[in-house]
Amino acid sequence: MSAEPLTPSVVVDEASMTYRVLSAEAVQPHRGLRGRVRAARGVRTTEVQALQPLSFVVGRGESVGVIGTNGSGKSTLMKLITGQMRPTTGHIYATSTPVMLGVNAALVRQVSGEDNIRLGCLAMGMSRAEAEAKRDAVVALSGLDDHALQLPLKAYSSGMAARLQFAIATSVDPDILVIDEALNTGDAQFRERTRQRLDELREQAGCVFLVSHSLSTIQEMCQRVIWIERGVLTMDGSPRAVTRGYNLYARAMAQGRTEEAQEILERKQSELVRERIAWTGGERPTGITAL
Amino acid sequence: MADTGDPRVPSGTAVLTVDGATLRRVGARPGLARYLASLWEYRSFILFDSRSRIAGANSVNALGRVWMVLNPILDGAAYFLVFGLLLGTGRGVPNFLGYLIIGVFLFRYTSSAITAGSRSISTNLSIVRAFRFPRATLPIATNIRELMLFGPTLVVMLVLVLAIPPMEQITWRWLLLIPLLALQTLFNVGASLLLARYVARWSDLSNLIAFGTRIWLYVSAVFFSADRFADFPPMMTAMHLNPLFCVLDIARQSLLYASDADPMRWIVLAAWTAALLVVGTVVFWRAEETYGEER
Repeated sequence: MSAEPLTPSVVVDEASMTYRVLSAEAVQPHRGLRGRVRAARGVRTTEVQALQPLSFVVGRGESVGVIGTNGSGKSTLMKLITGQMRPTTGHIYATSTPVMLGVNAALVRQVSGEDNIRLGCLAMGMSRAEAEAKRDAVVALSGLDDHALQLPLKAYSSGMAARLQFAIATSVDPDILVIDEALNTGDAQFRERTRQRLDELREQAGCVFLVSHSLSTIQEMCQRVIWIERGVLTMDGSPRAVTRGYNLYARAMAQGRTEEAQEILERKQSELVRERIAWTGGERPTGITAL
Repeated sequence: MADTGDPRVPSGTAVLTVDGATLRRVGARPGLARYLASLWEYRSFILFDSRSRIAGANSVNALGRVWMVLNPILDGAAYFLVFGLLLGTGRGVPNFLGYLIIGVFLFRYTSSAITAGSRSISTNLSIVRAFRFPRATLPIATNIRELMLFGPTLVVMLVLVLAIPPMEQITWRWLLLIPLLALQTLFNVGASLLLARYVARWSDLSNLIAFGTRIWLYVSAVFFSADRFADFPPMMTAMHLNPLFCVLDIARQSLLYASDADPMRWIVLAAWTAALLVVGTVVFWRAEETYGEER
């Protein structure tokens, strides 16, 4: 690696994530006193290691695809990058707060669509005037008519709500953008509008993360791909190489050749050159991204 | 930095030298002063959030906002029946009806504000997870909403006090209600901030808060006179240190009895409010990074 210091947009420094989840006890017979006592509470805490410590650096102007099977830890990594959750260990650094475009841009169900637009804009830190100025663009992108906008959100179909969510979430022009795959929902007309808006945003943004199951989308849009499997960074490289490795693994898994899949995974993980972050001057960044 | 030495990656590590000059930590908690400043920057969010939800607050009931007034009246009627008529706790209290109305209405304001405020993070998780904004805006917005909801209720309370015999006169002391409500609201904000952090962490706690406010209702002289403890000084002292009793006592002295409340009531209430605001803000701010986590 070059000794020249990099000036990156996003640095993930040994970040890991362990969830502690309260879950309802599975319905099954309990043996012994302790089992019964625990069963009486009806809930238990489980620890789930979603992401093992990993490091990587993303430079300005890079589009990074993130792939992995379901439950591999991609979404967790994205939540850490956007600062929605704090990593259990390690840190995430960025030049500005990354913005996630996901299906779960929050909406308040009892409030009208119109008010949700303003609420979302203000929650993203816009001033009243800025929110007002964005309003028409959001409405146009959502494709909702005036009547629908006056209805409380609980009267919306899930498709309408998803469109509004997307429109609100994309009303900012973020420098660092995290795009969630699940956006590809809705009817053909909306999908086309979504794609256009995403293209616009990608052109403006300094750096883009794209989470997707669609390898063709990834190959088309990204110059670099990160593959995360079972919470472990498995590959990091060119779209061609990484998607090929991923395809081998996914096919083996799909056909029930688990041992072979396991072998592929282990080989790829052992081939990976782990990165370690060193800071020029030995000082880690101390400031924090603006809220 | 120690190598984490994961056994599955024997091929070694590459060291990337990064210039951290332009980088900042993502999602980290700002310093307290910066945090308070950011709350001010988000003031339009706070105001809009509290206003937009008033409309939705009662939209599930056919009578809508009428319930905001009907609820405390029905409460008052029930307490009058049980405590005033059946148990006779109102004996010796001049204008017991007025006494009861002020107690019920003002108590309900604090109890519902603290209950809603303490849940403001746990009931708004979707917004918390979707956007990065200072989280303390939510308990504050909830309290502003409760204050605005209390407005019409307050008018009804004053009308009832004026209309139900023995009728009371309006005196200059009615103006004391303004600083009183300001203090009471700040008190609610402080308590909400303090509790919201723990309710966000352990949602079980909201069950206890409902229980706690009920106990508080019974010990705050809402439907009996504090004078019944005159022979038992420790109980009397405890009563005088109860911030909500201070609120009720000041309001009753000013509205019903046209006399000045003991200045100690103001001092005790102001002390509670200041302490809760400071402790609540610091406690809430210290967990700022954790509110979006999955549970």
